[in-house]
Amino acid sequence: MSIQLHVDQLYWQIGNKIILNNITFNVNKGEVIGIIGPNGAGKTSLLRCITNQQKNTKTAVFSGSIHLKNKIISQYSAKELAQHFAHVTQKAEAIFSLTVVDIVKMGLLPHKSLFAIDNDHDKHQIKLALKKVGLAHTEKMKYSQLSGGEQQRALIARALVQKAQILILDEPTNHLDVYYQHQVLNLINQLNITVIMTVHDLNLASEYCQRLLLLEQGQLIADGKPEDVLTETQLSKVFRLPCIVTQDTLNQKPRVFFSLEQKKATNIDGVSKHE
Amino acid sequence: MNKLFFTLIALLLFMLMSLIAGLSFGPTNLSNAQVFQCLMGHCSDQVSQMVIWQVRIPRVLVALVAGMGLAIAGAILQNTTRNPLADPYLFGIVSGAGLGATIANISLGEQLAIALPLAAFLGALFAITIVLIIAKVLQSMEQLLLTGVAVSFMLAAITQFILYFGEPFATNRVIFWLMGSLSRVEISHFYIIATVLLITMFIIAALHRQIDALLLGDESAASLGVNVDKLRVLMLGLCAALTATIVAYCGGIGFVGLMIPHIVRQVIGVTTLKLVVGSALIGGSFLIWVDIIARSALANAEIPVGIITSALGSIFFLFIMVKTRNIN
Repeated sequence: MSIQLHVDQLYWQIGNKIILNNITFNVNKGEVIGIIGPNGAGKTSLLRCITNQQKNTKTAVFSGSIHLKNKIISQYSAKELAQHFAHVTQKAEAIFSLTVVDIVKMGLLPHKSLFAIDNDHDKHQIKLALKKVGLAHTEKMKYSQLSGGEQQRALIARALVQKAQILILDEPTNHLDVYYQHQVLNLINQLNITVIMTVHDLNLASEYCQRLLLLEQGQLIADGKPEDVLTETQLSKVFRLPCIVTQDTLNQKPRVFFSLEQKKATNIDGVSKHE
Repeated sequence: MNKLFFTLIALLLFMLMSLIAGLSFGPTNLSNAQVFQCLMGHCSDQVSQMVIWQVRIPRVLVALVAGMGLAIAGAILQNTTRNPLADPYLFGIVSGAGLGATIANISLGEQLAIALPLAAFLGALFAITIVLIIAKVLQSMEQLLLTGVAVSFMLAAITQFILYFGEPFATNRVIFWLMGSLSRVEISHFYIIATVLLITMFIIAALHRQIDALLLGDESAASLGVNVDKLRVLMLGLCAALTATIVAYCGGIGFVGLMIPHIVRQVIGVTTLKLVVGSALIGGSFLIWVDIIARSALANAEIPVGIITSALGSIFFLFIMVKTRNIN
């Protein structure tokens, strides 16, 4: 697999607070990477740095480098970066009754010059993207009328129209029920592009990510396959809770259980212990 | 596409109809036939010729571009700040213009005819500059609007203080000017406002996709390659210049920028190009009809257009609130 993105000794400090500390990893083409860790670990901050969206205040100290195709990302213009990264952000509340097509059409922006209007090819791309995420029937509907899962899929359709090579998602399953969580992550897996996303639910991360990065207080604690990263020792330490990791009998992936009482966690039926 | 196309054609025809009506209605009764004859250069009498070419054409054309400009400024401010209540007046533009006009009145006296629009324009730009500087320091959209309101009140207070101690005749002149009127406009004012309007529309047409991207939030727009801060400052500056130009010649005409974009969103759409074209067509027609009412409603007297737009605007918003409550 070829290296698409290289993060080298990334350090970010604002005032006295260290946001990211000496983070180094590669992203290979086509990988689905999940960034996990407790609140405040630096997951979203890492995504911001990768897409060069970090806010540099007077008190900020920033060092290290991020290379995209052998070029430092700060050397790319904002428009060029938008052609490489499609970022599905956590907060995307539409205002003024935007339709689904209005939202998806926004993905054309990084590829359009000033004054350019939509041509037939653009319209075809929008239809294809909506079809791919299963929203062809919602084209003229208001975005605000869609369910949470459908809204996420509409934003992914926008990312597809953006034709980026790396899809960045910040908590794509936030506020979604179990059905939509699996639907959205399953869709992301079928896109066949490089994906970097932050995920709170460790079991979803285990099931849908090929590789996990575990962060704690801005530091990269572990980087590897789910079975290598989701270990009881590491997770107990990072999340400060007794933890049991078992193997799912259906997909052989690690399953994580936390409990304040160690005994309850060990007495879960129907699963075999992984570590 | 078809529905949009026919809606725009219908609005364009309504605008042309409004222009004809604007030329026909008024204290001197002229039939549509007389208006057409005069437009073709075959006026039946000198009075008609003078009324049409020297009074009504400048007035109707200024009403058209002023209505277009105020509605477009409101539409762009609402989209770039993601606030449906954003309006050029909320950013202290009229208060600044009022202060500029007042200072010109007090200090210049008889040279006022030339100086008042320029002073009002400079006052409006001064107000928006203060708002932008404070907003830049605070770095918040909510605070940007509140800053505008605060600056507006501050400048209005200074104006009232000066007027309180000013000469009564000059005070009256400024107060009437602030109520908004098209009675003193000239064809040169149309050319000036139309030029600023065209430049504004040209820049908006170039950046319409970037403005649209803001509708889904700053973070989302930035991820699409938009320089959010620069775009917002550019749009605020542009709207301020457009509104300041209109206010300088027409005085304070409120509620057009707030009301018209709301109607356009229901009829045409919410994205920038549709909103701007729709606001131009409806806003222009609206102000022509308001001006027709202003000069026809009372015998031997004219009502300031700002009073009518404010009255209509407040009724419109009460209607919207009742409608929204019923839907909920």
